[in-house]
Amino acid sequence: MEQMIGRGREAITMIVDPDSFQENQVGGVSFPADYGPGAVVGTAALEQQPITILAIDAQAVNPRFPVVYFGIIGMEEAYKMACAVYETIQADRQKPVSEKRPLLLIVDTPGNAPGKVEEIYGMNKATGAYQLALAEARKCGHAVIAMVIGRAISGGFLCHGLQADHILALPKAYGTMIHVMPLTSISRITKIDVEQLEVLSQENPVFAAGVDFFYQLGGVEEIVPDPGRMRERITAHIAEVKALKSEGSFDRSGPWSRGELGAVRGGRRTRKAVLAQMESEFSAIADKYIK
Amino acid sequence: MNTDGLMEMSFYSATARRRASQLVDPGTFSELLAPNDRLVSPHLPELGEAVSFDDGVVTGVGRIGARPVFLISQEGRFIGGAVGEIHGAKMVGIFRLALQAYETILDREGRVPEERRPAILISFDTGGVRLHEANAGLLAHAEIMDMIQETKGKIPVISLIGSKVGCFGGMGFVAAATDVIVMSSLGRLGLTGPEVIEQEIGKEEFDASDKSLISRTTGGRHRYIMQDCNVLVDDTIRAFRRAVEEILALPYEEICHYRRIGTYPLVQEQMALVQQAAELMPGDSMDVWRCYGNDEPELLPEWELSEFLCAVRRRPKEVP
Repeated sequence: MEQMIGRGREAITMIVDPDSFQENQVGGVSFPADYGPGAVVGTAALEQQPITILAIDAQAVNPRFPVVYFGIIGMEEAYKMACAVYETIQADRQKPVSEKRPLLLIVDTPGNAPGKVEEIYGMNKATGAYQLALAEARKCGHAVIAMVIGRAISGGFLCHGLQADHILALPKAYGTMIHVMPLTSISRITKIDVEQLEVLSQENPVFAAGVDFFYQLGGVEEIVPDPGRMRERITAHIAEVKALKSEGSFDRSGPWSRGELGAVRGGRRTRKAVLAQMESEFSAIADKYIK
Repeated sequence: MNTDGLMEMSFYSATARRRASQLVDPGTFSELLAPNDRLVSPHLPELGEAVSFDDGVVTGVGRIGARPVFLISQEGRFIGGAVGEIHGAKMVGIFRLALQAYETILDREGRVPEERRPAILISFDTGGVRLHEANAGLLAHAEIMDMIQETKGKIPVISLIGSKVGCFGGMGFVAAATDVIVMSSLGRLGLTGPEVIEQEIGKEEFDASDKSLISRTTGGRHRYIMQDCNVLVDDTIRAFRRAVEEILALPYEEICHYRRIGTYPLVQEQMALVQQAAELMPGDSMDVWRCYGNDEPELLPEWELSEFLCAVRRRPKEVP
């Protein structure tokens, strides 16, 4: 099967209405063509409705920041995408929830830029800023959908993907990778034998790598069987999220809802017990604190 | 018990539980999901690892004056304070309870009086995701970021960074996303830890054995110069506690001005900084310090804190 890794730009074409993608145009802003080249932002149409696109160009190399290449999200890339989100919010500020344009994240990234300059200036702020912008868009009524077509690795996935309302992913057979760290690196850091880790990685969704395990954990809403169906499934999920938000249900999509989904699918049961226990303990003493 | 003596204690070496209880008014701290609840990670034993009855984080509630203060205090001594399923859920739980407390007061009174507006304190001591239960830890980070956005316009969230492990990995952007960051000079804040940079890019990019390089790149003084850290304090529990009191005495609107990200204008200000990074390409943080008018940057780490605070030139802020 033909993999989609490294083909973020093609994925845009496969998903949106023909010839509708206007790169670097979002709301009132026109991004300079060479800024944050690893991030592809713009406006397209999906079923004749406007949609903001936030994708990763995993072929691009940032000429200014040496550690930013082949899908790595650097400071320019993260802030560029944050701007595109804020521009989207502004463009539709006066519109009712049902008419706010969706945002589509096309995910294929190995992570955030790990460099000295990035640490000096604060890569943590860049990725944090983008995540807050996405969360704000979601909370003010935009449908935010992520489509994992390649790598969704650790901090890169947190930055670009995990703040979405719904997350869709292509199956493992297409080369999709979702994980935090390769087993060899985990073994080196935790000092646990790689053989022992391999055993666990066959069955424990909390630890194991891969799309199917993330599905069990509630970290992915749906696995889309093949790239040809991305457009149809994304359109359906946009409609679903829009319907939820139009009736005022904002906690039935997004990271919180995926936590609940993790319990339903059986991959993440302890989380729910923790939350319930804390709530019950606090309610017994709440009067001491909330006068 | 002589609490005065304890307050003079180093924040850096204090346990998570001590930090949590001493940051609020004496006798007001109640731990939620305390060790005697015996809820432990089901995942660590599968790897033959020891568990901790608090899963490396102390969560609870206390008061400062009339204000309910919800606390998260991480314990770096347990697997580097790393965030697994329970640890992450406890953090999310504190955000939920604090937000519910805000809604309760709002419902009852129609407004939330400043002096009783709930607040969240996070004392970080972590390298981010716990690799032994990495996927659950990762998903918890996303939930916490969602919760932070949910607090905006409602309740202040204050980060306290001055413990041994510092604040790295996903927790590095969680801290960046909060309203206020208080650090000591010993505090460390970043995204990619020094060892990881050395491993990924090489020793010529970052020598992780160079302690003063780590301090210059991620330490409290550097973050203070960059305006990422809002308040720089001595390494005592008392100093952190005083900073928290002073911040919470401000009207909420004013506290929001301490943020570094979270609005479009703030993002644009950060982009100007990235532009500077591209032009200057500093080999060391000292190049940046010099840029802001510190003529002898090599002296900055040496000074006493009081001298440093008097003499240092910080990045000029553009957004008021």
